[in-house]
Amino acid sequence: MNKDFFCEVVSRQMLNEDTALIEFSCEQIASVAVPGQFVNITCSNFLRRPFGIASVNKQTGTFKVGIKIVGEGTEELASLDEGEGTWILGPLGNGFELSSDKYILVGGGSGVFPVNFLYEDLVSKDKSVKVVQGFRDKSQVIMNNPDYILTTDAGDEGIKGNCCDGLDTLSEDDIKDATILCVGPMPMMKAVSSWADGHGLDCYVSLEQRMACGIGVCLVCVCKIKAQEEGIPFDHKRCCKDGPVFDAKEVIW
Amino acid sequence: MSERLFVNVGKTFLKSPIILASGTCNMGRELSEIYDLSILGGLSSKGLTIKPRAGNEGVRVAECKAGMLNSVGLQNPGVEHFIKYDLDFMNTLDTGVIVNVAGHSTEDYIDMVKALDPHKDKIDALEINLSCPNVKEGCMSIGSDKEQIKKIVGELRKLTDLPLWIKLTPNVTDISSMALAAQEGGADAVVLINTMLGMAVDIKTRRPVLHNNTGGYSGPAIKPVAIRMVSECYRVLDIPIIGCGGISEASDVLEFMIAGAAAVEIGTASLVVPDCPVFITDELEAWCEENDTDIRTLTGTLRLW
Repeated sequence: MNKDFFCEVVSRQMLNEDTALIEFSCEQIASVAVPGQFVNITCSNFLRRPFGIASVNKQTGTFKVGIKIVGEGTEELASLDEGEGTWILGPLGNGFELSSDKYILVGGGSGVFPVNFLYEDLVSKDKSVKVVQGFRDKSQVIMNNPDYILTTDAGDEGIKGNCCDGLDTLSEDDIKDATILCVGPMPMMKAVSSWADGHGLDCYVSLEQRMACGIGVCLVCVCKIKAQEEGIPFDHKRCCKDGPVFDAKEVIW
Repeated sequence: MSERLFVNVGKTFLKSPIILASGTCNMGRELSEIYDLSILGGLSSKGLTIKPRAGNEGVRVAECKAGMLNSVGLQNPGVEHFIKYDLDFMNTLDTGVIVNVAGHSTEDYIDMVKALDPHKDKIDALEINLSCPNVKEGCMSIGSDKEQIKKIVGELRKLTDLPLWIKLTPNVTDISSMALAAQEGGADAVVLINTMLGMAVDIKTRRPVLHNNTGGYSGPAIKPVAIRMVSECYRVLDIPIIGCGGISEASDVLEFMIAGAAAVEIGTASLVVPDCPVFITDELEAWCEENDTDIRTLTGTLRLW
């Protein structure tokens, strides 16, 4: 029933000058969260702030979120120290459906955090996983892994270009029958979705919108999804409750 | 539930003065996964229209100090879908079922009441939304003209015996004349207040944050305005008032009731702390015990200076 928990910070790591990876203690959230789900975190500002779950540890009953400082609320949360705590609602939303055996994960922006959770989960289940991550330049590179294909727009680290340029470096064997899971800024997800379409691959994306409740009651975080019924141009689906994960083919970009 | 919390809104009995405000609880499904809604006096459905509405383009929310702006624009599945899929569910929640009725014209409201009246055994009250600020026609534009309020309420009164609660907009010069117009039209109660019209500006783009340009301001910031309006209207009305606007604590409920509310609605607070009605209810029960008072006796006990 209850989904709102007071969670203490167990560890805090600054990944670069404006991004923190914070580990919270909460067995209730850690024991049931799946990749693609998010939490809605209380700060001093009026509304909570939503973050995709970056990792869970069921043994220690902890989970991590990545917090990029973009305003007062995120600045306060990114500076929470060990032993401090806040109210966290979660886990929320629908995670990725993970019944295939072969995946290509694509991450950018704050999407690298849920992609990390996906990677850890799929590797633990012995699934075939390739990862492509894209950043603006070297200074923005976080949550990287030597096994990942890294791209930067500036070309000062990894492959010069965007995530699609990274995807182009995959072999035919890598691509065959893979499912693409993509989390990042909307233009990136649109481009990756189109790349997947061009290669005949299924693609699922995690959409982001300005959010309030996070539980599906206020209808402010809607996105346009192809309508089920004829005669209607689109359905306004709630990112928080109907998503955030959607089949890319259903999304009206 | 403690009998101390029972209230009557006209002929409508509620086991608690706390109702969830329309548009902040959808049809109850999501919150029922978080807490037991039977502790509530009632739940007011998402604002409904004759035809399904997609609502406004996003961005639909802007955070403000002590509150938020929204411009959802009455996204809803339409009344037929509601009757088919939601009304029976709301009746399983063991709480008052309030159906929020919106429209673009007098005819729309008439058609809505005609569609809902045959299901009156499943409905405790109709909340007539003459106050949504986020649609171009109807709602607030009707609710800011007292002649139109009286006319439309009068028309609806002829169509149903269901309690008619008229939800009014604060975006008017004289709220008491609007409330009186609703009473003259035959309303059973008025709900005060809906959101206040506002705007937020993105200083980088020099555009409004909301794609709709304006939106409805809600949250603790508007509570003093709502209380003032409840107090003003209580002094001139014979029908009960349901107070709404910025309630997030038990003491807010007490303030509203002392100012003249027979019951209250909790709205935006549910978006921040979904189960806040649980601890508000507990605190109200404790307050009633401590003060050896039934909550309904508070209504209108304000002593003005």
